[in-house]
Amino acid sequence: MSGEAPDAATPILIVEDDEATRTALRRDLSARGFDVEEAPDGRTALRRWEVRRPALVLLDLGLPDMDGVVVLRRIRREATTPVVILSARDAEAAKIEALESGADDYLTKPFSTGELQARIRAVLRRAGGPAADADGRVVVGRLVLDPLAHRVTVNGEVVPLTPREFEILGVFLAHQGRLVTRGRLLRAVWGQAYEGEHHYVHVHVSKLRRKIAAADPAGDLRDLVTAEPGVGYRVRAAKTPPG
Amino acid sequence: MDTLRARALLRSTVIGVAALGGATALVALLQNGLSVPNPSAVYILAVAVVALVGGRVAVLLAAVASFLLYDLFFVDPRFTFTASDPGEWLNLVLLLAVGLLVGQMAALLRIRQETAVAREREARALFSVSRELATRTSTVEALPRVVEILRHEARLSRAWIALEDGGPRRRPVADTDPGAPVAEPPGHRVLRRRPGDEPAEWVAVHTGLGLVPERRSPTGVAYRVGIEAGGRTLGLLCALRRREDGRPDATETRLLAAVADQVGQALEQDRLAAAARDADIARESDALKSALLDSVSHDLRTPLASIRAAAGSLMDEEVELGIEDRRAAAKMIDGEADHLNRVVTNLLDLSRVEAGGLRVEREVYDLADLLEPTLERARPRLTHHELEVALGGVRPVEVDAVLLDQVLANLLENVAKYTPPGTLVRVGARDLAGEELVRITVEDAGPGAPDTALPHLFEKFYQVPGRSAGSRSGTGVGMAVVRGLTEALGGRVAARRSELGGLAVDVDVPAARPPQEEDTVR
Repeated sequence: MSGEAPDAATPILIVEDDEATRTALRRDLSARGFDVEEAPDGRTALRRWEVRRPALVLLDLGLPDMDGVVVLRRIRREATTPVVILSARDAEAAKIEALESGADDYLTKPFSTGELQARIRAVLRRAGGPAADADGRVVVGRLVLDPLAHRVTVNGEVVPLTPREFEILGVFLAHQGRLVTRGRLLRAVWGQAYEGEHHYVHVHVSKLRRKIAAADPAGDLRDLVTAEPGVGYRVRAAKTPPG
Repeated sequence: MDTLRARALLRSTVIGVAALGGATALVALLQNGLSVPNPSAVYILAVAVVALVGGRVAVLLAAVASFLLYDLFFVDPRFTFTASDPGEWLNLVLLLAVGLLVGQMAALLRIRQETAVAREREARALFSVSRELATRTSTVEALPRVVEILRHEARLSRAWIALEDGGPRRRPVADTDPGAPVAEPPGHRVLRRRPGDEPAEWVAVHTGLGLVPERRSPTGVAYRVGIEAGGRTLGLLCALRRREDGRPDATETRLLAAVADQVGQALEQDRLAAAARDADIARESDALKSALLDSVSHDLRTPLASIRAAAGSLMDEEVELGIEDRRAAAKMIDGEADHLNRVVTNLLDLSRVEAGGLRVEREVYDLADLLEPTLERARPRLTHHELEVALGGVRPVEVDAVLLDQVLANLLENVAKYTPPGTLVRVGARDLAGEELVRITVEDAGPGAPDTALPHLFEKFYQVPGRSAGSRSGTGVGMAVVRGLTEALGGRVAARRSELGGLAVDVDVPAARPPQEEDTVR
């Protein structure tokens, strides 16, 4: 998968029970060069997915025959196909459940087609794989995370991070172009025990971001990690695909 | 014959015999010992004494007995019921007549007095019951005192009131003997009311197999009076009375009937008051609904009108739009749809706040970090304003991110709507000393609101008088949502006049303890 514009005829599956929304999405995505498949319910969705194996799935959570999360889990059992959730605003819990079950991103209805394009592109780009080189070093513009040396540099200058901040940054950089929920961050950094200062996840993240911002006067890394109220953090997609 | 009357009869008989015996002895002494010529008047005294304790029949008997005794013992020829001297005849007849007259008058006086005492007792009982009912907060609460008064004043062994509650059985609400079981006696007497002034009467009702109720009920005789008002039966006033106390007399019957009537009236008043209250609430909620409809329909229709106009020209085959015009129309539709979305979101939030269906998930956040996306989202609406943000340097807060985001978004939306372009807008934060709270302040140098409007700013559908945002007047929902959500977060909100000249809104939210510092990696 490559660059800013998706390949012509990138297959995409729209799972949405509302016909007006589905039609509008199909029209927009077809016009942008995607090969669009539609499914009005979960059963049809799984059948079409089985046949076509699309490059990306747009999944509504409120389906007439089954929960969208069930569809997502069935897909995840077999493939890492990117899934973008379409959800109503008051379904925070369902949204987070979907993200923790392996969804790549979400959009809250109503959304603009411009927003949808941006998310689809970011998710497709990320599908290329994590941005780590052979030594495990991750490079994002001027920021370099070196797990062997346990060190983070921006413009060659070492950023003084605490062990916890270092681990948090590692989790973020492994999820470029995706959403990281608080739960995922907790499990990765604090472990299953959830003990100690897990309440302060957001405060640790703030400090991390401030330290990076201080080392980056040009502001290139300002939007590397942005907060998504009530959900977690969105990590910017890598600017250049690896390989 | 009940024991009470038997005792009264015995008493008057004893006193009557003693009085007549004493009178006979005194007359014998006067006539034979002191030779007083005609001492028959002494018997009048005896008749008067009997009149003080007995009834009219007793007085009549005493007068006749005096006549016979005097005739027998003191009139010649003695020991016969005849008199030889016509003068003695006259004497005897006068004795009888005066005895009867005095006796009847004394008895009448006594009966009147007794009636007056009974009336007073009845009036006092009724007055106590009236006072209990008049000072009640609800009738049912006053009933225990009422049955207690009744039990005492109407000589009952137990009194209770049971009300109809729509179910198959009546619900006992007040009982002088609350612990005891309320067994339905096999039979009882019911007070049958008569229209007008005719006296009511007790009618035996058999619920058993034709058994005489008085003999079957172990605890006494059961009496019942229906509690009615407005033609409906509301309940029953029930009473148990010891068999030896006899049936309730006229006074007690009147008292029972009057209390049943008063309780009925009081219950009816309660019902009417409740109905009036319900009507008030319904009216208020109707007023709220129409206020909502008025303000919301305007706010929903304005963008809808723009959307339809733009879509109409896009659809029309006869309108040739250039590519730029088509884009502009689509952009307008998009923007108006976004506006509609904000209105609907706030309405949904408001109803969730009011229904208590808000789920609050508190976590610890750095305030500046948390509110940054909110400010970013609001920026396009505030491009022509001068925005100053200073949210750093305060303690971490413990809030629900989504709710606080909505609070700040609404406040900024309000500023964008009601202040002219170029206005200075300041978003700041500070720790409140002595309180576990962090204060977020959104203030502007705009026209502000009059001081009288400040306390009402967060009321639902409130519109600041004279403040208008043109066709885009608010629904009066945004600020109500601000308050509802802030309170759901465990915070508080207040409006005041800003030092900048316009409106300042302080949102105080719970602070968290700062986390411990870690060593940094080198």
